[in-house]
Amino acid sequence: MWQSARQRTVFFNRIPRRRSARGNRFLRAFGVSCLVGFLFSSVVFAETYPLSKPQKLTPQAEKVVEQLGLGSWIWTTNFQEKQTCRFWKSFEVPANDPVRRALLRITADNSYHLFLDGREIGEGSNWKALTEYDLTFLLTGGRHVLAIDGFNDGREAGVLLGMRITLASGKQLDVVSDDSWLIVPNTAHRWLSRNRPDADWQPATVVGVVGQNPWWVNPVNIMTPPTLQPYEQHFWKTTWFLGAVLSVCIVALALSLWLAAKLALQTRAQKLLEVERARIARDIHDDLGAALTQLVLQSEVAQTEFPETSTARGHFSQFCSRARAASQALDEVVWAVNSKRDTLRDFSSYLCKYAQTFLSDAAIRCRLDVQAGMPASVFDLSVRRGLLLAVKEALNNAAKHSGAGEILLRINKDGGNVVVVVEDQGNGFDPDALGGAGNGLQNMMQRLQELGGTCHITSGIGAGCRVEFRMPLAHPASRGGFSLRNLFRRQNGAHQWQNLNGQ
Amino acid sequence: MTPHRAETKAPQFSTESPLKIALVEDKRDVRESWAKLINSFPDFICMCKCASGEDALRMLPPLQPDVILMDIFLPRMSGIECTTRLKNELPRTPIVMLTASDDDDLVFVALQAGADGYLLKRTTPADLRSALLDVLTGGAPMSSEIARRVVESFRQKPRGHDDTISLTAREEETLMLLTKGYSNKEIADRLGLSIETVRSHLKRIYEKMHVQSRAGAVARYMSGKPIENG
Repeated sequence: MWQSARQRTVFFNRIPRRRSARGNRFLRAFGVSCLVGFLFSSVVFAETYPLSKPQKLTPQAEKVVEQLGLGSWIWTTNFQEKQTCRFWKSFEVPANDPVRRALLRITADNSYHLFLDGREIGEGSNWKALTEYDLTFLLTGGRHVLAIDGFNDGREAGVLLGMRITLASGKQLDVVSDDSWLIVPNTAHRWLSRNRPDADWQPATVVGVVGQNPWWVNPVNIMTPPTLQPYEQHFWKTTWFLGAVLSVCIVALALSLWLAAKLALQTRAQKLLEVERARIARDIHDDLGAALTQLVLQSEVAQTEFPETSTARGHFSQFCSRARAASQALDEVVWAVNSKRDTLRDFSSYLCKYAQTFLSDAAIRCRLDVQAGMPASVFDLSVRRGLLLAVKEALNNAAKHSGAGEILLRINKDGGNVVVVVEDQGNGFDPDALGGAGNGLQNMMQRLQELGGTCHITSGIGAGCRVEFRMPLAHPASRGGFSLRNLFRRQNGAHQWQNLNGQ
Repeated sequence: MTPHRAETKAPQFSTESPLKIALVEDKRDVRESWAKLINSFPDFICMCKCASGEDALRMLPPLQPDVILMDIFLPRMSGIECTTRLKNELPRTPIVMLTASDDDDLVFVALQAGADGYLLKRTTPADLRSALLDVLTGGAPMSSEIARRVVESFRQKPRGHDDTISLTAREEETLMLLTKGYSNKEIADRLGLSIETVRSHLKRIYEKMHVQSRAGAVARYMSGKPIENG
C-alpha cells in the first residue's frame, strides 16, 4: 500500500500528494473531519516519522549487491522534511597498484550531487534508477575524498552508493555507502574539498538495505554517462605559475614605483641644483662683482691723486689691472655656473667674445664664422666647460706658435654635435714630430674624449694648422634628462660639480 | 667685446667749453668715483649726478648734457626704461650704458631701447675717454655678437612690418662683416668706403633698430615679461 501510494517524479519540487492518505486514516479512526485538525496532525506526523530499521538482505537482493558492489541506504538520524544531508568519506588507493577500472554507482531518494576530491562528478534525482560513473581516469594512487550533497523532499530518505575499483594486480577495492560515512553539519564550510573530517562529524545511519521496502531490488535502469576524464591541467592554471606571474607583477610594480619615486627625487634635485647654481651666480655677481668693480674705480680715482712720477701711482696702476683681471675671471666663473647660460647659443657668443678679446690683445685679427641662428638647445655644463678650456688652449697655441696675422674661429651645430674649428694660415708644424712637446695637446684630446668628444689636428710645416673639436651637446653620463642609467646613478649633481671644479 | 677701442684718433674738442657728462648711478660710492674719474679728464666735466632713473628724467632734460652715462641696473625704474623715456625728451643726446657684466641679452635690449653704446664698469679711464669721444662724433660701435643679434632681429620680421625699417643691402653687408669679426676700418677697406661712411651706416642701423623695437622687445621688457632666450 505504501509503495502504491508513492507517486515519484524526478523533480525536486514535487509535493507529496499522498501526504493526506495517512492523515485521512487517522481522522477516519477518530471520526473527526476538520481542516485545522488535519493540518495539526500533519505537523505532528512530520516530526515523528520513524526511520525504518535495516532488514536482512533477501537472496535476490544479495545477488544484486554482490554484482554491482553496492552498500546500503544511508541517511542521518535527525530526519526532517525537505532536508539536505551531506555525506563525506575518504579512502585510499594504493600508490603502487594502478587503477584498471573504477565504477561508481549511485542513486538517492530524492536527489544527490556527487563530488570526488572537490570536483563535481554528477547529479541525479531518480531513486528508481542507478547512475554508473566511470572514474577510472580520476583515481590515481593516494587519498581521495567522496562527498555527496543529498536532498530529500519528504518521507523515505536515503543515499545508496557503491564504488568498485579493480586494480592492476587484480585486487578489488569496494567503497560502499555504510555507517563509516560521516554526516557533515550544515555549518561546515568548504567541506567538499576537506581532507580531514572534524571531530564533531557524526557517522551516517544505515536506514535500509537494497530491496527493502519501499526501495527496489533491481534498479529500473542503469544510466552510464560518458567516462570522466581528468581535468587537463594547463600550466598557466597551475598554482605555482599563477604565483610566479603574480610575484613578477608585484616586483614590476614595486620597481616602477621605486623608479618613479627616484625620478621625481632626481628631477627635484636637478631643479634644486639649477636654482642653486643661478643663486650662486647671482650672489657672486651682485656682491663680489660689484665690490671688485668698485675697487677698480676707487683705485683709478686714488691713482689720479698722486703725481704722475710717484711710485704709489705705479702701484695703484698695477693694483687696478690685477683687480680688472680678477673681475674678468669672476665673470667667467659666473658664466660657467649660471644655469641660465646652459645653451649652445650662449656658449657660442661667449666663445666669440673670448676669442676677440684674447686675439686683439695679441694683436692678431680674429675672424668668426658662426652658423646663423644658433639654436638655444641645452648644452651640458661639463661638456661646455671642457670644450671652452680646449678651445682656449687651441687659441693660445695658435697665437703663440703660428705667427699668423689672422685666426679663424668657426662654430656650428652638426646634428647632436657642436663643431668648433680653430684655423690659421701660419707656420704649422709636423704633428708626427711633435714628441714630448705635445703634452698640452694630448691632455686636451684626453679631456675631450672623456666627455665623449673628438679633436682632429691637421697641420704641416708651412701649411697652417686646423684644429677641429666635435662634441656631443650632452655628456652621456651626466645628461639631465630621463635615462635608466641616470636613474641608477647615485649623485648626478655631485658629478657635475666635480667637473666644474676639477679642471 | 671691445667696441670702444678707438680706431681713429677722435677729433680734439676745444678745451674752452668742456663736454658735459651726466651720470645716472644708484650706488653713491660708485657714482662719486665715476664723477671724479670724468672730472680728471681736462676736456670733460661731470655736470650732473643722478641717483635714480626718476631723478634723471626730472633733472636731465633742462640741463641738456652732451653724453649720458647710465647704469643698466637701477632700483625701481630700470636703466633701460629710463633710456627709452630720456630718448623721447633728448633724442639727440647719446646715452652709454654702464654694465657690471658682459651680458649680451641685456645689452642688446638696452641698444634696442635707444642706447648708443655700452661700457663695462671695469673699463680703463683711457677706454672710457675714447668711448665718450667716439659716441660724441657720431660713432655707433657694435660688437660682432651684437651685430649677429641685430641681423637676426631684422630677419624675423615683426608683425606690421614696415619697409622703411628694413636694412639696405649695404647696411646688411656691413653687419655681416661685423659678425665675422672685421673692424670698422677693415670693413671700409673691403667695401671701398670711407670709415666715416661705415660709421654712418652703423648709426643708421642703430636708428632703425630703435624704431623697429619701439613696439617690440622694449615694450615686452617694460611689461615685465622675461626677454626671450634670457
